[in-house]
Amino acid sequence: MNDTGAVLPADSDSGPTSMASAGEAPQEPREPVLSARNLVRGYRMGEQTLEVLAGTHVDLYAGESVAIMGRSGSGKSTLLHSLGLLDRPDSGSLVVHGVETTTLTRSARARLRNKRIGYVFQFYHLIPELSALDNALLPRRIEVGPLRWIGKQKEMREHARALLDELGLSTRMAHKPSQLSGGERQRVAIARALMSEPTLLLCDEPTGNLDERTSEVIADLLFQVSVERSHTLVLVTHDSDLAARADRRFQLHEGKLEAFGA
Amino acid sequence: MYRLHLASRYTFARPVSYLAMVAIGLAVMALIVVLSIMNGFLEETRSFLRGTTADIVVFPHQARYAYSRDVLEGAVAEHPDVASACARLVRPGIFKVHGRPPVFHGNSLSASQHQVLVLGVDAKSEIKSTDFAEYLDRVENPEFRVADPSDPFDLPVEDIREREFLYTQSPTVLISEEMMRGLLLQRGDALTIVTVPDSALQLDGAPVRPASQTFLVTGAYNTGHYSHDQANVYMSTEDFRSWSGTQHEVSELYVAVSPAADLSVVRDELDAKLRSIGLAGQVETWEDRHRVWLGAVENERNILLVIFLFFLLLVCTITFSVLTMMVQQKVRDIGILSAMGAPAGGVGAVFAVCGIYIATLGGLFGLVSGVALAANINKVKDALENLLGIEIFKKEIYAFSEIPVALDHTLNIAIAGVTVVGAVLICMMPAFRAARMDPVEALRHE
Ligand SMILES: Nc1ncnc2c1ncn2[C@@H]1O[C@H](COP(=O)(O)OP(=O)(O)OP(=O)(O)O)[C@@H](O)[C@H]1O
Ligand SMILES: [Mg+2]
Repeated sequence: MNDTGAVLPADSDSGPTSMASAGEAPQEPREPVLSARNLVRGYRMGEQTLEVLAGTHVDLYAGESVAIMGRSGSGKSTLLHSLGLLDRPDSGSLVVHGVETTTLTRSARARLRNKRIGYVFQFYHLIPELSALDNALLPRRIEVGPLRWIGKQKEMREHARALLDELGLSTRMAHKPSQLSGGERQRVAIARALMSEPTLLLCDEPTGNLDERTSEVIADLLFQVSVERSHTLVLVTHDSDLAARADRRFQLHEGKLEAFGA
Repeated sequence: MYRLHLASRYTFARPVSYLAMVAIGLAVMALIVVLSIMNGFLEETRSFLRGTTADIVVFPHQARYAYSRDVLEGAVAEHPDVASACARLVRPGIFKVHGRPPVFHGNSLSASQHQVLVLGVDAKSEIKSTDFAEYLDRVENPEFRVADPSDPFDLPVEDIREREFLYTQSPTVLISEEMMRGLLLQRGDALTIVTVPDSALQLDGAPVRPASQTFLVTGAYNTGHYSHDQANVYMSTEDFRSWSGTQHEVSELYVAVSPAADLSVVRDELDAKLRSIGLAGQVETWEDRHRVWLGAVENERNILLVIFLFFLLLVCTITFSVLTMMVQQKVRDIGILSAMGAPAGGVGAVFAVCGIYIATLGGLFGLVSGVALAANINKVKDALENLLGIEIFKKEIYAFSEIPVALDHTLNIAIAGVTVVGAVLICMMPAFRAARMDPVEALRHE
């Protein structure tokens, strides 16, 4: 395995956070990476409004891992979309890195999402036409303009290769998603999410589609990278064993997040 | 960067994009080929009509005057823009090959080949005013060429094939290479040409005695225009007069005008001039004379432009549906791109670039293949005719011995360009739709 420290320099913003994996939420009064207050999100269905998020609060700190559980249809994905700036809540406030995002323009939110947020989905959501390497490179390609890309291309490719290598895909770089197993696809998706060195890693049932053993490998991987790189890991899952490994656990119930113990 | 990158992957990974390119290409190609042929027709027709007609033709009123050729030519030549003028005598005739029985089909004489317009010309002034010299030069079979192009009505004694004409000082005739070939004639063969003399038409109802004379073929001319060549023979004005017994010196006066002059101005001035000295007649430019034919070709070209609009619509429909389909199939990807932080404009641009790829490559393919096909249309035609065993281009119908083609590169590039621009513009609609898609809905898309 590569010396990842050289390829992926530690994020200087987040400071020494290797302690965060100890169990509890950090004690000292630190600035949360993300702070959601009173998030409300409803879907209008004809006359009625289906209120999926009804005043959700949450603070997420650098380097911690948070599991979110809840019944199917309780709004976990909706919450993740809101936290990841894909969806705009109807009301409430969402501060990411000190910036109030609910009033930002769509393109400003896209920029923030590109730099700060990595998504991992249940169904991998890779682009079928692109190789594993190109899929992993996608966020950087989006970030960097065509002219700068020419200069940075080599460095970026190195970075993506190292990342895929680290995730055990060194012999799968040129494979298309259809030529990869589910576990491999999810690892490519994780590599892609890590590519732009986000502070928030949002995972929507990342192991939901994998067998037990593979699930374990993927889960290990997610916790490991979150610790090593001090990404804040948000894990939506139905698997209570997996949830038990997170620093904190929440249940989404009737549109609100309720913390619950191990 | 991802826009170009993804667009090329999207475009070139799907057979349907190639299909769309081919469709666009075929539309462009078809138009270029058809328009090139159309332009070829127009150009050939014009050059041919211009060559065989001269710039301006003066028709004296035969019924009133037997015009003196010198007076008429002199009057016309005084105009500063007139380069030269040559008088022609024209009369319909029927001929048969000497020594062969006439061929009859039912009650009528066979084939138009035997009915001709006999043109009595002065070779020297004809060469000066029209493309006559070129027609003599264009004869393909060397055996058909006249002995002396500067005196095409001269037949050297050694070329006379039948003894009975050796000492007769027979009049001579110049026929087309097409006739030579079709009637299996050679230089020195004899033709009998019949016409109705002027005198026979003087009295209504009087019995008509045709005028007939036997001519020796001095050789052939070739204008390259089938219908003209099937129907015209040349002889000297002297032979013409003695054959037809006409009193006239001029049936029509061919006038060559200096290239810089405006033909219709010269026409009007000549007309006024001739009237002022009491030589009433009709003065026409070559375009006036053939306006029906020229107008028809011109009009067909305009119709083609209308058809071009339909082609453009077709191309737009194809690209629109291919791109709409692509956007529909890529809804999930649109969600993924948004989740990765691509702005709406970037997502739209991916699909717009797909459209640009398809349209540009299709248009380029059409331009190249269209120009290539048009340039080699006669080779392709020959190959197809050999392969299929049918005659695709009937020269009898089109008056040209091969398909005429004129490549107008500005026009071709314009056709391809307008098509590409049209296709690209129409692609903006699905691209815009992709840009406006809600990312969450796109991600949830099954
Ligand atoms: N576009 C929409 N229009 C109407 N209702 C919607 C829409 N999207 C989601 N919902 C509703 O919002 C609710 C929450 O959906 P969401 O996908 O967030 O649930 P979830 O907790 O992620 O469920 P699961 O565990 O099955 O993935 C569901 O009841 C769903 O029907
Ligand atoms: Mg869900």
